Amino acid sequence: MSVRIAGMGWVTPLGRGVDQVWARLLRGDEATAQTIPGLDGTKSYQGFLVPKEASNNLPPHPRLRRASAISRFAAAAGLDALAQAKSGNLKVEMESLALVFAVSNGGVAYTKRFYHGIVESGAQSASPLLFPETVFNAPASHLAAILGLNGATYTIVGDGAVGILGIKMASELLETGAANHCLVVAAEEADWLLFDAYHKWRLLKSSPPLEPFSDPPRGTILSEGAGAVLLSAEGKVKIDSISPGGNFSHQRDAIEVVNRVLQDVRDQAACIVASANGTFVDLAEREAIRQEAPQSIVYSPKSPLGESVGASGLWQVIVAACALAGKQLPPMLHAAKNTGLRFPSREAEVGPAAIVSSCGLNQQAAGLRLST
Amino acid sequence: MLSFSAINVENRRSRVAVVGAGIVSPLGSGLQKTRHSLRRATDCVTAVSGFDVRHCRCKTAAQIPDQHFLAHRQTNRKNARLHRASHMMIAALAELLEHDPEFRPQVTVIGTTSGGMSFGEDYYRALHRQENLRRSPEWIANYPPQKPVLDAQSEFGISAPCFVIANACASGTNAIGRAFESVRSGKYERVLTGGYDALSELVFVGFDSLQAATPEKCRPFDRNRSGMVLGEGAALLALENFETAQKRGAEILGEIVGYGISTDNHHLTQPDPSGSGPRRAMEQALQSAGCGADQVDYINAHGTATLLNDAAEGKAILELFGKVPVSSTKGMIGHSLGAAGAIEAVICLLALQSQFLPPNINFREPDPDLALNVVANESRDAKIDVALSNSFGFGGTNASVLIRKAAA
Repeated sequence: MSVRIAGMGWVTPLGRGVDQVWARLLRGDEATAQTIPGLDGTKSYQGFLVPKEASNNLPPHPRLRRASAISRFAAAAGLDALAQAKSGNLKVEMESLALVFAVSNGGVAYTKRFYHGIVESGAQSASPLLFPETVFNAPASHLAAILGLNGATYTIVGDGAVGILGIKMASELLETGAANHCLVVAAEEADWLLFDAYHKWRLLKSSPPLEPFSDPPRGTILSEGAGAVLLSAEGKVKIDSISPGGNFSHQRDAIEVVNRVLQDVRDQAACIVASANGTFVDLAEREAIRQEAPQSIVYSPKSPLGESVGASGLWQVIVAACALAGKQLPPMLHAAKNTGLRFPSREAEVGPAAIVSSCGLNQQAAGLRLST
Repeated sequence: MLSFSAINVENRRSRVAVVGAGIVSPLGSGLQKTRHSLRRATDCVTAVSGFDVRHCRCKTAAQIPDQHFLAHRQTNRKNARLHRASHMMIAALAELLEHDPEFRPQVTVIGTTSGGMSFGEDYYRALHRQENLRRSPEWIANYPPQKPVLDAQSEFGISAPCFVIANACASGTNAIGRAFESVRSGKYERVLTGGYDALSELVFVGFDSLQAATPEKCRPFDRNRSGMVLGEGAALLALENFETAQKRGAEILGEIVGYGISTDNHHLTQPDPSGSGPRRAMEQALQSAGCGADQVDYINAHGTATLLNDAAEGKAILELFGKVPVSSTKGMIGHSLGAAGAIEAVICLLALQSQFLPPNINFREPDPDLALNVVANESRDAKIDVALSNSFGFGGTNASVLIRKAAA
């Protein structure tokens, strides 16, 4: 069977809604960085956060009363994707709908609050209300409850490539008849603890702009939000092939895996929506693209939207689907010069296929090819 | 009665063989020690030694001494940085590959709930105290849930793409189920699957805060059950298309024949008291195997010994299976969360191989509301051809796998 994208939902620092965010990307807008204070107030970080109003207008479901930001982002994107599919007259029965939720860092804010209580005051102060929200699959459980879904629900964890792996798993659920439709949602929430960790990991840039493909890499800007795609046998955008890629033990080996991914989903006429985010990932993608698809137009959405880690793969897929529908890509912001890559220009028209290359920061890479 | 294989012919696509397994659990490292400890009904629950539990209700867990999985490991700088979950996974994979050195997975599907959580704790405590932050980068790099899987693969030169499922306590069974479906559908010929989790303070205190953990003995399905104890471990299974496994002469340890998954939306942490979620998962597993409930000879229950879980699961088991022998092995090994489903699947394999029913220890008095045939306190010899393994978790995730004895 052919697996297609029947609906999409998008919650980003540039707002909520596929049309709205896409229009802003085409205009060349980029998110405004906000200052996130660290633990003791002496240190602070710059990141792209989702505006508060972007996760308003959610159904008044009791599960969302105490839910963390990540659950709210996931619910907003998931419900929007379903609504878009239904507005296209797709009939989605809840009994035959599966949910795959992809995430990397998970509910960091509640996990930190829960553990902080233990560190500060001992185990007796641990909150039984917070603990269940720290579990990786809490956002998926909330969304399943809102939808009344009682079939297959999977939460998968990984690095930035996890969104593509989620689509791979969803495609297999459809292809094997385990579900007729599958909602794939990926989400992440920002918290100072994450910023501190990525800073200590020497992957963070102190302030925007995020400069894709710079050599040496200058660091990334973290962000948050969610993306969702409803997969079905119907829909305008087709998923031609998915490469679950592989793993690399050292950053220097990432190029080999990205190369393999690009070979798996190769199409010389396709544009490439890359995961370049100002880190070692950029050098791996640059070299792999030069070798495997030197003529392809390359775009990374991470300058305007930031690095949303677990959500980033699905954001790239949404960008690729929008680019195919509108036959254009947004302008590449702050990209390094003399990279040997072709970036989008006003004149360049997007062909009938787009490749998503998703290389994560923690040893995983995957990719897929879409077409109309 | 129709034979199992006769019933299956129509429903089944490819048959799925288990051609290797490896386990590290509180029962011991390796299949042999595990079998031995199961037969002896060993209670592995001891006082928690890894962190401060003075202010917790529950003060015990089933822990694995590090030397059990580090014994054969070379220590070098890289290995010294790894999380103990990585070491457990490496030991489990070593055993699996020792059994079937030719096995090379095309993809890996592993369940976990908390990855390298204790490294996250170390990092947060160091931040809080503003000391010992030098180790932060290694804690952060080794914290993510996929890391122990990648470490284990890397140790043996495997670089298969990894799907890490985090469906709370059902993760391990969900991973085996997905792996099974991938092989059965013909998508892949060889899939490595299983689950792991290492004990951590955050998770321990979390279950304690919910009063789901007991200050007493863990007594699954007992009238006076008062909650769970936590455990830890890793277990892996090598799944392969039955025909290709046979062709290359691989030893077949058993077959995965059915898988069911359901979600119940009753509550984030509590099962629907009707047992409808577990029941749907078990029914689906039977349906996917083309197997009747009367053909199941043993059920390794989720059986956490919490009031609500055992009541809901017990009700569903009774309705579907009546007096089939049931045990929860969590009284012996605790609840190892993401590893539980994988460890219990291996326990089912051992039971099928050696024809015995694993014991449900600490059982004193039947629950009058649950007229189950509990394998109380001692293992029993029995003829078993098909075993069902259940796992249910937070978020209302329910999963069941059916495992069949290898043909003689």
